[in-house]
Amino acid sequence: MSDFYQTGVVTTLHQLGKSSLEHLENELFGYSKTRPIALVLPALYSEFEGPAMPGIVQELAKVKYLNEVVLTLDNATEKERQLAREFLSPISTEIKIVHNNGKRITEIYETLKRNGLNPGERGKGRSAWLAYGYVLARGSSNIIALHDCDIVTYSRELLARLVYPVANPTLDYVFCKGYYSRVTDKMHGRVTRLLVTPLVRSLQQLVGPHGFLDFLDSFRYPLAGEFCMNTELARVNRIPWDWGLEVGSIAEVYRNYSPRRVCQVDIAATYEHKHQSLAVAEVDKGLMKMTVDICKSIFRTLASEGVVFSDGFFNSLFVSYLRQAEDTIMKYEADAMINGLSFDLHEETKSVEAFTQAISIAARAFTENSMNAAPLIPNWNRVNAAIPDILEMLKIAVDEDNK
Amino acid sequence: MSDFLNLILEPLQELFQKFKEFAPNFLAMLVILLIGILFAWLLRSVVQKLLHTLQFDSWSDRKGLTTLMRKSDMWGKPSLLAGAFVFWVTIIVALMTGLGALKINAIDQLVTQFFTYLPRALSAILILAIGYIFSGFISRAVLITAVNSGYHYAKLLAEAIRILLTTLILAMVMEQLQIAPGIVLAAFSIICGGIVLALSISFGVGGIDAARRMIERQTSGENQEPEKEDIEHL
Repeated sequence: MSDFYQTGVVTTLHQLGKSSLEHLENELFGYSKTRPIALVLPALYSEFEGPAMPGIVQELAKVKYLNEVVLTLDNATEKERQLAREFLSPISTEIKIVHNNGKRITEIYETLKRNGLNPGERGKGRSAWLAYGYVLARGSSNIIALHDCDIVTYSRELLARLVYPVANPTLDYVFCKGYYSRVTDKMHGRVTRLLVTPLVRSLQQLVGPHGFLDFLDSFRYPLAGEFCMNTELARVNRIPWDWGLEVGSIAEVYRNYSPRRVCQVDIAATYEHKHQSLAVAEVDKGLMKMTVDICKSIFRTLASEGVVFSDGFFNSLFVSYLRQAEDTIMKYEADAMINGLSFDLHEETKSVEAFTQAISIAARAFTENSMNAAPLIPNWNRVNAAIPDILEMLKIAVDEDNK
Repeated sequence: MSDFLNLILEPLQELFQKFKEFAPNFLAMLVILLIGILFAWLLRSVVQKLLHTLQFDSWSDRKGLTTLMRKSDMWGKPSLLAGAFVFWVTIIVALMTGLGALKINAIDQLVTQFFTYLPRALSAILILAIGYIFSGFISRAVLITAVNSGYHYAKLLAEAIRILLTTLILAMVMEQLQIAPGIVLAAFSIICGGIVLALSISFGVGGIDAARRMIERQTSGENQEPEKEDIEHL
């Protein structure tokens, strides 16, 4: 059981006492009558062949309060799309598959490009963005929830807890992010533990009190891929198409709404998903690429808030980060000891070294071209202004694909 | 025996003679067709390049032409579709011209009818395209105006106007194509007349009381002297 301490500027909703899923779902069923809920699932076809998807489908089949499920499928042939549809058939809620490799969706991307709107490269950011567009085009849902499709320990309680704060009209939250501890026999979540938190705190040291840094530091798991928001936010948010998606989304929420209307919720006692390797030599792949993108996204957001980055600043940042990260390792070592978890100090230190390198790469990329350092997809309002019928086209494309 | 041979050879000679007369025509048709295909291919390339230069695709995206294509489940670029349209029209024209070179009466009539009908078909397509853009523009303008005026059924009104305009345009297209023009005209007149009549009756019935009050006020006002105001204005 967690404590009930409120950290930072956003509300934290803890898992306290014995929660009743049935009670939560009954309430959500009532709220969904006036505030219909859409679930967006960004997925690769390979995830349908993995261990997580059967469990997710089995759990979602029991959920009654969803208005629609939009699955954006990437890296899939037409046959694989049909297989995915059959795989999802136990779910009684209306399901639409956005087939990213299909000719119709490809033409939607082409339409955007020829009108000077860059939807970015293939990835979770672009897939999620397109799914938001489809939900907006249908206009039948007020709330959008999103979670990954590689959660091995998935339970429908995760979805219920994630959606509840935004669906409940008396709470008045517009954005809710999930958090959880990623612990098996050891602690996972290296990027959050050893990169994001120490980096944010080093930046706070150098920049001084800053609204965005305080906001970002308030999130217990800023890189969690699970969040829920109202559809208006989906319309105005500009999100990065690369791995900076999570941080970029938080930055946009900070830009558009008061922290009072933002919360984070404990969604799972255990959370296990696929792990990525940290190969320092491969800057364009895996966890290394992810860390570089995250750093660039943070730098860009701060720059847009008026923070000036210079070579001297970055030099101080490397040293400051290293000190913060070393202190953090010590804290987690003690945490692991008291909980009887295995803790590989050498591996953790190597991770910090890799992350220092990632910060350096990101800093260089940012200094060379700050505008392209963390590319953002235009928001749907902007796209709609350029091509008034784009949402209708998207709706036709997805509906035709699902016939 | 020679009579018998003549009996066999004469039709063959006649056939050969006809073939000799027909062969140049047939050859001419093939040449026309070949030139037509080459010309159509060239014209398609020119049209596509020109439209690309004029950013026709972006224009179509903004003006709703692309949406019209998507509604018909066509997912190519609008400029490619325009190029394909020009290509096939040229091919059909070349084919009809080629068939004309065969100098066969029945085909000649068909070709003449085709060339008479072609301008009508082209103008019908033009009416359809311009009409679609125009109805979209008017519908959007009505929607914006009605929303800004706080009218509750703005979307419904805009959609109704779009459907009415589309019906009008389709009637014009059918009339242009000479497809049962009498029936189209009658049907259109009945629908429009019916709508106007329905509106008149509903307004009339709904406005009986208001009209009565107005008339009563008018007639009673004529009989009564206007009351003198206590306060006199300077």
